[in-house]
Amino acid sequence: MYRFRGSLGVAFAAALLAACGSDSPTATPAASTAHGTLAVSPPLRVASADAATFQAQLSATASGAQLLQLTGAPTCGVDFYYIKFWTTGAAGETTESSGALMVPTGAAPACSGPRPIVLYAHGTQFEQAFNIADPTAFTTTNTEGALIAAMFAAQGYIVVAPNYAGYDISTLGYHPFLNASQQSGEMIDALTAARAALPSTFAASTTDSGKLFVTGYSEGGFVAMATERALDIAGTPPAAAAPMSGPYALEALFDAVITGDVNIGSTLFTPLVTTSYQRAYGNIYSATTDFYSATYATGIDKLMPTTVTPYTQLFEKGLLPELALFDSSTPVVPGSTQLTDLLAIPSNPANPFTPVFAAGFGSPYLINNSVRVNYTLDAVGDPDGTALGGATLAAHAPVYPLRLALYKNDMRYGSWAPSSPTLLCGGEKDPTVFFSPDTLTMAAFWSGLPLGAVTVLDVDPAAGPSGPFALIQAGFQASQTQEYEFLQSAAGGGLSAALAQQVLLQNYHGSSVPPFCALAARTFFSNL
Amino acid sequence: MTRFVLRALPIVLLVLTGPIARADDIPNNTVRLGEYWVFYHVYADDLSGPLVEPGLGSTVKNVQTPYLAYLRRLSPNFTIELAVGIPPLTKTYGKGPATVGSVPYNGEQLISARWLAPSLLLEYVFLDDSYKLRPYFGAGLNYVVFYDRNSSPAGNAVAGGPTSVSLPNSLGPAVTAGLNYQISRNWSVMASYSAARVETDSTIHTGGVNRYSHVSFGPQTLVVAAGFSF
Repeated sequence: MYRFRGSLGVAFAAALLAACGSDSPTATPAASTAHGTLAVSPPLRVASADAATFQAQLSATASGAQLLQLTGAPTCGVDFYYIKFWTTGAAGETTESSGALMVPTGAAPACSGPRPIVLYAHGTQFEQAFNIADPTAFTTTNTEGALIAAMFAAQGYIVVAPNYAGYDISTLGYHPFLNASQQSGEMIDALTAARAALPSTFAASTTDSGKLFVTGYSEGGFVAMATERALDIAGTPPAAAAPMSGPYALEALFDAVITGDVNIGSTLFTPLVTTSYQRAYGNIYSATTDFYSATYATGIDKLMPTTVTPYTQLFEKGLLPELALFDSSTPVVPGSTQLTDLLAIPSNPANPFTPVFAAGFGSPYLINNSVRVNYTLDAVGDPDGTALGGATLAAHAPVYPLRLALYKNDMRYGSWAPSSPTLLCGGEKDPTVFFSPDTLTMAAFWSGLPLGAVTVLDVDPAAGPSGPFALIQAGFQASQTQEYEFLQSAAGGGLSAALAQQVLLQNYHGSSVPPFCALAARTFFSNL
Repeated sequence: MTRFVLRALPIVLLVLTGPIARADDIPNNTVRLGEYWVFYHVYADDLSGPLVEPGLGSTVKNVQTPYLAYLRRLSPNFTIELAVGIPPLTKTYGKGPATVGSVPYNGEQLISARWLAPSLLLEYVFLDDSYKLRPYFGAGLNYVVFYDRNSSPAGNAVAGGPTSVSLPNSLGPAVTAGLNYQISRNWSVMASYSAARVETDSTIHTGGVNRYSHVSFGPQTLVVAAGFSF
């Protein structure tokens, strides 16, 4: 900046005027960084749409129009706020996090006054910049934000949804992925901050009714269940919860994956898991090469969530394999045919998932065979309950560090059972978070609870739709058929039946099931 | 315009009744009082930063303000001028879509700021002191201090909450061309047209988030004034 040297007097007067300028105030940063503190008040309203405008915006795209068919036309307008709040990392680090507060607006009775809160946990995001409060990305990277806005906020629910530590503005440097304690704590911190923010929003006439619903999808399904547990243990159980398609029985899930049931997306999930538990427990590996093949080990502990966008560039840049979680040259364990067979590439032709599992073996691969052998030795020596023909408890005391970490974060750990009405929703053909070792395990684990305490909903039952959610099940299966036929049509790319089936499976967890389970959750909540 | 006429009238009357200067008795100091008309030619980058829709521009409406200047005669043909207007309240308006979501945008008055904008100009005055009507040309620097920067309720609604605005001071070249008519030894009237480069990087602070826009105001000014030399 230049200086005005010609007239010191004028410059001095100008400086005085500038100093005395009564510039308008802005939001105030909080003095405290205690967890749960709203970091900036009032929060930023990112967008405001009345019901008609929001409907028009959604209708402008094919995916938005499809979503509206499920959610129904918006009853309310929605104000979208971006909240920043303080929370703690897996090792107790103080960190700022962020998220969305969506407030229903409008004259309809369901849109103002005391309204229930939906506390929502999003699914795994691979890109560090993800921000669920960003409506400008509703048709690109934030379709989940659009889903919860249309499904809940536009129907009169206040929505609170954190981005999670490690994303967006958080400088934590990693994401405490599948860390029950940290993630439930952060959910409650986001809720506390959002409740503090509500009175200072533009829609201050919309208030917290005190009725709280907790839900989330995939990773967020796990987080929702962990949050329900934490609230329950704290003596403030939610009115109801609806975890969806989450990896609840972590030990059982990973026992299946390590022994060859490689799930879709596993090469992206694995670095998130190991980094999270390494930061929390410090014993997953001494060096990344202990766990990862030399091809990918360098820098992998800082890779995820990634700043590479789109994240699929990770494969093109050679930073991660797209499919090959394991070495196609599977380990031979001397003296143990059982282990050798267990670690072989799955080949059961009767299992429809076999091609998906087998695709997870290749070279170059991500995880060393030594990890598989040591993990499996632990699993065989101290089996998970699901491996023992019906028993559902997690292993008693795993020794292998990764398995011990999974055990500690498994939702069966501590033998908690929900005291609030709980809906577990998922789809039985889920190739990413398997329905059986997760949702069905928890259902069996809680089978002794009073009738109706836990409701299990498979949106895709092989036996066909039935029960109170039959319409949702029928809608899901019809949409699958439509998509299958579309993919084979000229407009859908003219795929072969086999390829269309493969695409259908790839979309199953990430985009097909979520809106139907979210609708089921809303239906479940609305009856309480 | 009416305001200008009322302000300028007594001065003009004085001018018309004053004595004519002798060539060897030219005062070296002159003060001027008149009126500025400021015409903006704004080019503003669309607002950028996190959580911003594309295509949100802005524009500024023209203003009028009293003009004050001090001139020092350096030689028969060179004068240095320090000019300043009474800081006008300049208003910025939304330029883009009719609404952002459901919030009105295009044409809404979003931000206001006062400008203290002194200019220091070296002027070459054509002809010699015996001529009553003398054209001149000048060049120099213009410095702008923005203060009283306020976001309006409409601005707050668009930005998403209580908003403060940062507008760093601007220094840029300025040029002027004008005509001065010497009525008497002490009194004169003048008119000029000037242009300056005024650019700033505005920062909009709302809810802990900053958004940015580089703004080039491109002001051009018409000045009519009376001068008193001593």
